[in-house]
Amino acid sequence: MTKRIFKNTMLIILLVLVLCGVFIIGVLYKYYNSEITDEMYNEISFISAGVETEGMDYLNNLDDVKIRITWVDKDGTVLFDNQADVSTMDNHRDREEIKAALASSTGKSVRYSYTLSEKQVYHAKRLSDGTIIRISFVQNSIWKIMFGMIQPLLIIVILAIAVGGALAYRLSRQIIEPLDNINLDNPADTEVYEEMAPFVRKIVHQNQQIKDTVAALKAQKEEFTLITENMQEGFIVIDKSAVVLSHNTSALKLFGVSHRAEQKSVLVLNRTKEFETGVKLALEGRHNERAITIGEKVCNIYLNPVFDKEKVAGAIIVVTDVTEKEKREHLRREFSANVSHELKTPLTSISGIAEIIKTGIVESKDVPEFAGKIHKEASRLITLVEDIIKVSQLDEADSAVEKEKVNLYELCREVVEQLEPVAKLKDVSLSVMGNDMVIMGVKPIIREMIFNLCDNAIKYNKPQGQVNIKVDLDNNRRSFVEVKDTGIGIALDQQDRIFERFYRVDKSHSKEIGGTGLGLSIVKHGAILHSADIAVESELDHGTNIRVTF
Amino acid sequence: MRKGFEKQLDELNVNLIKMGAMCEQHITETTDALFQGDKSYVDRSHDLEEAIDKCEREIENICMGIFLKQQPVASDLRLVSAALRMISDMERIGDQCADISDMIKYTSRHNMNEYESLREMSTNAKEMVTDAVESYVRKDLELAHRVLKQDDVVDQLFVDIKNKLINYIGDNPDQGEFWIDVIMIAKYFERIADHATNIAEWVEYSVVGERVK
Repeated sequence: MTKRIFKNTMLIILLVLVLCGVFIIGVLYKYYNSEITDEMYNEISFISAGVETEGMDYLNNLDDVKIRITWVDKDGTVLFDNQADVSTMDNHRDREEIKAALASSTGKSVRYSYTLSEKQVYHAKRLSDGTIIRISFVQNSIWKIMFGMIQPLLIIVILAIAVGGALAYRLSRQIIEPLDNINLDNPADTEVYEEMAPFVRKIVHQNQQIKDTVAALKAQKEEFTLITENMQEGFIVIDKSAVVLSHNTSALKLFGVSHRAEQKSVLVLNRTKEFETGVKLALEGRHNERAITIGEKVCNIYLNPVFDKEKVAGAIIVVTDVTEKEKREHLRREFSANVSHELKTPLTSISGIAEIIKTGIVESKDVPEFAGKIHKEASRLITLVEDIIKVSQLDEADSAVEKEKVNLYELCREVVEQLEPVAKLKDVSLSVMGNDMVIMGVKPIIREMIFNLCDNAIKYNKPQGQVNIKVDLDNNRRSFVEVKDTGIGIALDQQDRIFERFYRVDKSHSKEIGGTGLGLSIVKHGAILHSADIAVESELDHGTNIRVTF
Repeated sequence: MRKGFEKQLDELNVNLIKMGAMCEQHITETTDALFQGDKSYVDRSHDLEEAIDKCEREIENICMGIFLKQQPVASDLRLVSAALRMISDMERIGDQCADISDMIKYTSRHNMNEYESLREMSTNAKEMVTDAVESYVRKDLELAHRVLKQDDVVDQLFVDIKNKLINYIGDNPDQGEFWIDVIMIAKYFERIADHATNIAEWVEYSVVGERVK
C-alpha cells in the first residue's frame, strides 16, 4: 500500500510538471515572437532613417550586427548585403516582402527552412527614393528554444522530483503507519484515526465472537470425547467414503491397533471381508450387525448408516467385545448338558431296576438287593439335588446371612474326625496342624468348604497317601486353611476349570469315585461369600495343594 | 488438481489394503483346507485368485493414472512405485495359494497334521503375510523388519523338511509320489514367505526411501 500511494503521488507530480512546462513554454513562445516582431519594426525604422540620411556609407559603417540587412534598388537589384556577396545575388523583385513593400511601403514574409529547422522572418520598408531596405532574422523554432532551455529545465524537474519524492514517501508512510500498528489480537489497544474506528470496533466484536464460538465448540467436543472415551464399546464414525472421522480408544483396543486412525480408511482398523462387507452395506443405507473374530476375541459390530437429507452421509460403528458372553454361553450350555446327564444316570438305573422288578423276573429273595440299588441311586440323586440347591443358595446368598465367630482350627478337627472312617477305607492318613484362628463367617458354609476340600483330597488320593491340613496366619496376617494331599494331582490346563459346576477332570471314572461334581463349586462360592482367595498348586501325579485365605 | 491427487492416493491405499486382506484370507483358508483335507476348497481358491488378479489390474490402472496425470515426486513417487511392485508380489502369493489348493486332492488321503514341520512352515508363512500387510497398513518398520527375520525361519524349516523327506522316501519308497507333493507344497510356502519378505521390503522403501539388501 505504501508503495502504491508513493507511486501515485509521484505520477501526479510528474504529470503536473509536464503540463506546467508545456503550458509555460507555449505562452513564452508567443510572447517571444511578438517581442521580436516589435523589435524588428524598430530596427528597420532605425536603419531606414540612417540610409535616408547617409546612404551607402551608413550601411558600410554598420558592424557588429547580428541581423541580415539587404538594400534593394527599385528594379530589384541588390545594392548591399552585409552577409552575402552582392554580385552573386539575383534580382529580388519577385520576393514576397519586396513586392509588398513596393506596393504599400512595408512588407513582411516568413519562410520556413525545413533543412535548417528554422524560420526566416523578413521585413521590408520602402525608402523615400523608392529603394527598399530589408532585414531578416532567424526565428528559432520552439524545439530549438526548448533545447536551449533543457539544462535549467532538467535541474528544475530533478529538484521537483526529489522534493516531491521525499514528500510523497513521508505522506504515504504517514497514512499507512497507523494501519501497520494495529494490534490484531487486541485492536482496541491501538490508537487509529477516526475513519478507522468503526473498522477496529468490528474486529474487536468479531474476535470476541470467534473466541466464544471456538470455546463452545471445544466444550462440545470435549463433552463428546468424554462420553465416547468412557464407553466400553468401540465407537467409530466414518464418512461416506469410509474414512474414519473419529473413534474412541476402546475401538483401538478392541481392534488391536496401536495408532489412531482419524482421516484414514476404516480398513486400517480391520480388513476382514466380513467387516468390509458390513461397512459397504451400511454406506448403502442398510443397518446390519455381524460378529467378527479379532485374534482371540469375538466382537459384535453394529453398523448404522447416518442419513443427511435422505442421503447416506456416513456411518456409525459400535463394537462390543462378546468374548466373555460367548464363553459364558458356552459354559451354560455345558452346564445344562452336565446337569441333565448327572440327573439322568441315577434315574435311568432306578427306572431300569424298577422295570425289571415290575416284569416279575426278579425272584423275591433278590428284591432287597435290587431295592438296595434303587436306594443307593436315589440317595445319590438326593445328594446331587441337595448340592445343586446349596450352590444356588450360595449364588443368591446376600449379606443377610448371619456371620459369627468361627474357629477354623476347631472346625478342621471336627471335619477330620468326621472323615476319618472314609480315609481309613481309602488307606489315607489325615493330620491337622496349626493354631487357633478365629474369623467372622458363616459356620455351616465354612464347614462345608473344608469338608469338600478334605473329601476331594481323600477321594483323589493314592493308597497310603496323606492329607495334611494346616491352619495359620500368612505373611499378610490373614488366616488361611491349607489342604495338601499326595494324590493324583491336576494338570495345569485344567486347574482353572475345576471350580466349574459338574466339571470332572476324569469324566470316565466319575461314577467309581462318586461325588456330584459340585464340591469345588461350593468351595468357590463359599470363598466369594467370605471374600476369601483360593490358590491352587498342583503337579500331576504328585499331589495338590489348595489354600483358602480369609 | 492436488485434491484429485490426494483422492487417488487414498484410493490406491484402500485398494492395497483390500488386496492384502484378500491374500491373508487366501493363505489362511488354503492352510485350513490343506490340513483338514478339504478337497472342495479348490474351486473357491481359484475364485479368490481371480479376484486377487482383478484387484491387481485395478491397482495397476490407478498407479498408471497417477504417474501419467500427476507426475508424483519424492515420497509420493516412492509410494506409487512401491505399490506397483507390492501388487505383483501379492498376486504371486494368490497364485501359489491356488497351486497349493490344487495339491489338496492328492494329499487329502493322508493326515497332514502329522507333518509338524510343514504345519509350522504354513503358520510362519501365514504370519509373515499378515505381518507384511499389517506393516503396510500401519507403516510400521519394526513389524516389517520382523517379517524379514522370519523369512530365515521358513528357509530353515524348508531345509529340515527336505532332509526328513529323504529319510521318509528311503523308509517308504512306495509313497514316493506323496512325498514329492509334500516337498512341492513346502516349496510353495517358502515362495509365499519370500513374497511376504518382498512386500515388507517395499514397505520399508516407501517409508524411508532405501531398500534393504
